[in-house]
Amino acid sequence: MKKIVLLAVAVAIIALGYAVSDQDSVLAANPAKASAKAAKSSTPISCQTCHADFSSLIPENHPPVKGNELSACTACHAPELTGTIDKNAYSVRMHLAHLPPKGNVDCLVCHRWQEGKSFGLTGAKESWGAPNKEEMELMKEIFTGWAASVYMDNLHAKAGISCANCHGKELPTFDVTVENTRCLACHGPMEALVKKTEPPEFKDRNPHQSHLGDIACTVCHKAHSESKVYCLGCHQNFKMTIQGAGETKP
Amino acid sequence: MMTENKDKRDNRTQVSRRTVLKGAVALSAAAVTGGFALNLAAPGLAEAMVKKLPAKWDETWDVVIIGSGFAGLAAAAEAAGAGSKAVVLEKMPTYGGNSIINGGVYASWDSKFHYRQKLNLGDDSPKQHATDTLKGGDYYNIPELVDVMVNGAEPALNWMIDEGGAQIRETVTRAGGHTAYRTHSAVAGVGREYTEALRKIAEKRGAKMVLNSEVTWIWRKDAEPASPVLGIEVKRGRRVLNIKATKAVILASGGFSQDLKMRLAHNPRLVASFNCTNQPGSTGEMIRFAQAVGADTLQMNFIQLYPFAEPETGILDTPAVYPFNGPGYGIVYVSKEGKRFVNELERRDVCAFAQINLGAGAKPTYSIFNEAMVLKMGGSNKEVEDGIAKGRFIKAASINELADKIKIPAAALTETVSKHNQYIEEGKDPDFSKPMTKVMIPLTEGPFYAVAQWPAIHHCMGGVRIDAQAQVIDVFGKIIPGLFAAGEVAGGVHGSNRLGSNAIPDAIAFGRVAGTNAAKAKSRT
Repeated sequence: MKKIVLLAVAVAIIALGYAVSDQDSVLAANPAKASAKAAKSSTPISCQTCHADFSSLIPENHPPVKGNELSACTACHAPELTGTIDKNAYSVRMHLAHLPPKGNVDCLVCHRWQEGKSFGLTGAKESWGAPNKEEMELMKEIFTGWAASVYMDNLHAKAGISCANCHGKELPTFDVTVENTRCLACHGPMEALVKKTEPPEFKDRNPHQSHLGDIACTVCHKAHSESKVYCLGCHQNFKMTIQGAGETKP
Repeated sequence: MMTENKDKRDNRTQVSRRTVLKGAVALSAAAVTGGFALNLAAPGLAEAMVKKLPAKWDETWDVVIIGSGFAGLAAAAEAAGAGSKAVVLEKMPTYGGNSIINGGVYASWDSKFHYRQKLNLGDDSPKQHATDTLKGGDYYNIPELVDVMVNGAEPALNWMIDEGGAQIRETVTRAGGHTAYRTHSAVAGVGREYTEALRKIAEKRGAKMVLNSEVTWIWRKDAEPASPVLGIEVKRGRRVLNIKATKAVILASGGFSQDLKMRLAHNPRLVASFNCTNQPGSTGEMIRFAQAVGADTLQMNFIQLYPFAEPETGILDTPAVYPFNGPGYGIVYVSKEGKRFVNELERRDVCAFAQINLGAGAKPTYSIFNEAMVLKMGGSNKEVEDGIAKGRFIKAASINELADKIKIPAAALTETVSKHNQYIEEGKDPDFSKPMTKVMIPLTEGPFYAVAQWPAIHHCMGGVRIDAQAQVIDVFGKIIPGLFAAGEVAGGVHGSNRLGSNAIPDAIAFGRVAGTNAAKAKSRT
């Protein structure tokens, strides 16, 4: 436990350097210390742990907020632990605000993590999974991408969709993929999608009605890397484009 | 080849390094001899590559099948059916490899529907099928392997119809190199008809399929003849896993048509400018891994061109199957000059190089047929309609009009067609010695159709050496325990040139043999 705390402190101090540059006006004197203190004392972390002037962070037309703890936010902005779709979810708002390009705060400023054992919010008991070091690295990488990539994950982030909306309640691990039903919860039903992408000229050149049978959405649509039109692997003369293909690709 | 040499060098270093670690005796031996050379024949000593056997296995299966095409799915169905825990690993994100996009033509001397007999299309037998296959392969084929295919074709077809719900069209065609009307067509018009049937059977019997799983190594301790294949290393997403096979690994990973370097290494004539009908995953690495653990290969330079691919991209779309299915019913191939250039009933290699040899600027050539041939040659009116809309089939009321539409000299095409009509009537083709038959239809009544065609790289006849039990054979002629291969990854069934519509029966017949034998293998738990 002691080790984890030390690590959290170290990481938070490193993170501080970046965080200050962006939002110094609203930062408390020493968020790293505050966070470490919160972790040690199991006091739930709140915005005021880091941001002295909490009220200035809230948009002008935002209703008044009571209390200094996270529950003040999560009462309205659901923490999104159920994996249901809530576009204004707490997790979306908080992560986008603290990750580049808006911020650059390390995960462990707000989160507590015991390697391979638990992961949750600093000062809160609930654990959402047991990521190991490798998985933690991957989560960081993917979260950063989600907040600012040129891929489909960022398209979702901009629309207020975060991890749980696609991956469900559990923390995603290495081998997970997103099942079609998850995509179709928002983008479906399949028939509608087929109709939407039906080419005016040749109806059988519809990417959502492939001659390869029932294929996974993720064959073409990749959240965390470049999306590619799989059809073009063979049908090189087809004119087809896809979102999330990266900046340099059409 | 460069990498293989490098592997050997690395291995040499590794063997001597390990020997050094064993102690002073070995150290002095190494000093005196200058290190051990790689020697796959030295039991217990040889190691094929600088790789340590996995300390633990991430997954364990009885039978691990690499590739989800005809051969892999058939193997999975049989292995699972015999009670083995079987998994199919597919590196691509979709299943079916080249099989799901192939033309769906299936050579079998008979089926449960007996269409050849019912349509009075002459006699046939497995033996006649074997004779044609051997002749078509210039007798480079291993006869025992040919027997497995011709004898397995009919039961496998009926099996897919009965258990997997596959449907075939009510006709049989006579295709290039075959002396009988034995080519069956799938209702779907593509190989998906059979991959779906096989997948259904395999899954019903409990086999599992995992996509996005690229095998990166075959685990075998050494090349001692008794040393079995233990499992494989697989890249799945961001992970590298080791999977143990307690009974066997079955290679069903297809050919290497899409690996330009490997293709050129064996057949320098097949340069990059050739199109290819294959899906992008046909890259042959499993053959190299099999070689690295001692497997022998044969006839790797025999690589087939599909003579009638879509000229621009090289894909084998539905219209591209028509030229192949048509010759038995009188289809005519013509050059841009409106002239025939080959006996249309010739084998694929002859038809392909007859086009290439027409010289630069000869692309494309055309197949000419009429309405009366469509159903007989396994086509459908809907396919023709769709093909016309896409500009693949060109339709015209007269031969003159057709010539104008495809911009070839009308007089020449008219002359060619009327001569060919006459040859059908006379039962003799003095130009190209085509064996004319009574069921051929003269191009007298329209509407007439043309489809553009050009050869594209299609099928690797060579591959890993197997015996009639689908067991992989090593470079010394010994069976490699626990390693089987079936389908295009294996060589020797087709000789120098595979007859069209022999690929599916080959893959499925051998897949079944491999799956059945793998399930019987002694378990090494």
